[in-house]
Amino acid sequence: MQWMTLFNKEMMENWRNKKWIWVPLVLILLAILDPISNYYLPQIIEAVGGLPDGAIINLPEFAPADVVMMSLSQLSSLGVLVIVLMAMGTIASERKSGVSELILVKPVSYRNYITAKWAALLALVWAALFVGLLASWYYTNILYGDLSFKSFLLIFIFYGLWLTFVISIVIFYNTLVKTPGLVAFLSILTIMGMSIVTQIFGHIIEWSPNNLSSYIYEMVIAGEVSSDLVATSVVAIALSLILLIASIFTFKAKELAG
Amino acid sequence: MQAIIESINWSIVAPFIVIQGILMIVAILDWAKADDFRGARWLWFFIIVILNTIGPIIYFIFGRRR
Amino acid sequence: MTLLTVNNLAKTYDGKTAVNNISFEFEYEKCIALIGPNGAGKTTILRTLAGLLKPSEGTIRISDVASNDDVRKYIGYLPQYPVFHPWMTGMEFLVYSGQLAFLSKKEAKNRAEVLLEKVGIADARNMRIGKYSGGMKQRLGIAQAIIHKPKLLILDEPVSSLDPIGRREVLTLMEELKKEMSILFSTHILTDADEVSDALLLLHQGNIVESGSMAMLRQKYQTSTIALEFESDLPSYQAKVNALESVSGSHVERNVLQVNATDIAIARQEILAVAAKENWELVNFKLNRASLEDMFMKVVNS
Repeated sequence: MQWMTLFNKEMMENWRNKKWIWVPLVLILLAILDPISNYYLPQIIEAVGGLPDGAIINLPEFAPADVVMMSLSQLSSLGVLVIVLMAMGTIASERKSGVSELILVKPVSYRNYITAKWAALLALVWAALFVGLLASWYYTNILYGDLSFKSFLLIFIFYGLWLTFVISIVIFYNTLVKTPGLVAFLSILTIMGMSIVTQIFGHIIEWSPNNLSSYIYEMVIAGEVSSDLVATSVVAIALSLILLIASIFTFKAKELAG
Repeated sequence: MQAIIESINWSIVAPFIVIQGILMIVAILDWAKADDFRGARWLWFFIIVILNTIGPIIYFIFGRRR
Repeated sequence: MTLLTVNNLAKTYDGKTAVNNISFEFEYEKCIALIGPNGAGKTTILRTLAGLLKPSEGTIRISDVASNDDVRKYIGYLPQYPVFHPWMTGMEFLVYSGQLAFLSKKEAKNRAEVLLEKVGIADARNMRIGKYSGGMKQRLGIAQAIIHKPKLLILDEPVSSLDPIGRREVLTLMEELKKEMSILFSTHILTDADEVSDALLLLHQGNIVESGSMAMLRQKYQTSTIALEFESDLPSYQAKVNALESVSGSHVERNVLQVNATDIAIARQEILAVAAKENWELVNFKLNRASLEDMFMKVVNS
C-alpha cells in the first residue's frame, strides 16, 4: 500500500535523524523542569544568599493540578517552539532540495503524501508527549501529592489534541511556502495570533483550541471532564482536519517543479 | 552550603541530569559520524558541549544539511 | 503506432513564454532527442510531460491510457540534477520508488537488484547516497526512472554532466533501453543526439524550428563538400574542377580545395572519372558530410 510506503519512509527518516530520540528527551526535560525546580525553590533561594533578615517567605503550596499546569505551560511555550522547528521542513525542504521532483513524478497520490507525513509527525509527537507527561506525573506523585493515572491519561489525550492542531498548522504552511524558516515563522505567528485573539475575545470564543490547557486544569481540579473541554476538543480536531484538507488542496494546486 | 547539598534528594534530580547527558551524548555521536554540517564542524561540537541542553537541540534542528 | 501526442502545448511563467505552441507525435520504441541551446525551453517541455508543470495551453496524450488514469504510471523521469534522500542507501531508494509506483516490496527488491547491476552501481547498493559521486547519482537516477518499466522514459540532459567514460556508458545503456521503451531526452551536445536518437526535435526560443528523422534532416540540410588535395599546381586544378558541369563552386582552404556541388553523388563520379582519365596528381579525396552542428546553425539562422 502506497500510504504505508510513504509512512514507513517518514518513520525511518525520523529514526535515522534521531528525532525519535531527542524529541522525547526534550519533552521530558521540559515537563519535569518546573516541578523539580519549584520543589527545591526554598533551597535555591537559600543557596543564592537567602532572604534579608526579617523577610518572611511565603512559598505557595502547590496542588497536583498546579504542577500539571507547570508542565503544560512549558510544553506550550518552548515545547511548541521545538516541535514547530522540528517539523518545519517536512515538505518544504523536500521541495527546496528537489527530492520531491523524483518522488512526485511517480504515481504518488498527493493525499497519501501529505497525510503520511502528518501521521508520522503525530506518532512522534504523541509518543514524546506520552513519555514527557509520564515523567511529570511521576514527579507530581512523589513530590506534591496524588494524581490518578486516569487523570494523567486524560491530560495526555486532551493535550495531545492541542499538539495535533499545532502539527496541522505546520503541515499547512509546509504546502504553502517552501522555505522551512518561513514555515516556522508563519506557524508561530499563527499560534501567537490565535492566542491573543482568544484572550481578547475570551467571552465569545470559548472553544478556541488555545483554551485546551485551562480546561484541562479545571478537569484536574474538578475531577471530571467538562462539556467545554469536550467542545474545545471537537473544535481542535475539526480545525486540524480542515487544515489537513486545505493542505492537500494547496499542494494539488501547486506546480511541483516551481 | 554543605547542608543544602545534603538536603537535596539526588534520586530526584539525577534523572534530569542523566537525560541531559544522554541528549548530549546522542548529539555528539551524531556529530562524529556526520559530514554535512551547516557551517564549521568544530563550531557545532562546542555548541553541543558548552550550551547545556539548548546546544544539542539547536544542533539537531539546525546542525545538518539534509 | 503513436505513443505520445502533444498538441499545441504552451507554457508561460509570469507572462514570459517558455514554450510556444508545440505539437509533435512520438512513436513506440523510438528515441527522440530534444535539441536546443540553453534556455530554449527543453527542461520546461520535459517537466510538463512528466506532470511536474501544468501546461498553460494544449494537451498531452499517451495512447492506451484512459483519460482518468494517472499518466505518471507510464512515465519515468530523470531531472538534470537528480536529488535523493542522502540518508537512504541506493538500494533503499530504488525499493522506495518502486513501491511508490505500485510494485510489491518483493518485486521492487528484485527489480532494484537487476537495475543496480545494469547501471553499474551494484557495489554501492548499501552505501548512503550522500556519499555517492555525481556519476553514481546519475546512474541511480536512471535506475529509479525505469524501476516501474515505464512506456516513456524522459531524460533531461542525461550525459552532459558526466566525464567521457560515464558518457559513453550512459549512451550505451540508452541504446539498450531503446529496445524496451521509448526515450525522449534533451541535450545541447549534438553528437550525443546523433549517436542514439532516431529523430530530432530542434528547439529554439520555445518553438520547434525543425523536426524529423536523422536521415531526413541530413538529406534536407545536405551541405556536403568534397575536399581535394593535390601534389602541386592547385590553381590549375581548381580551374579544371570548376569547369565541371556538376560543380557549383570551390575555394581553397590551407592547400585543400573545397568543392561545392548541387548533387554531391554526381560530382564525385565526374571528378573521379576526369581525375583517372587525365591522371591528376591527387593526394587525398574526401567527402565531408554535414554535421548536426552545421545543420543546427543553418536552421536557427534561417
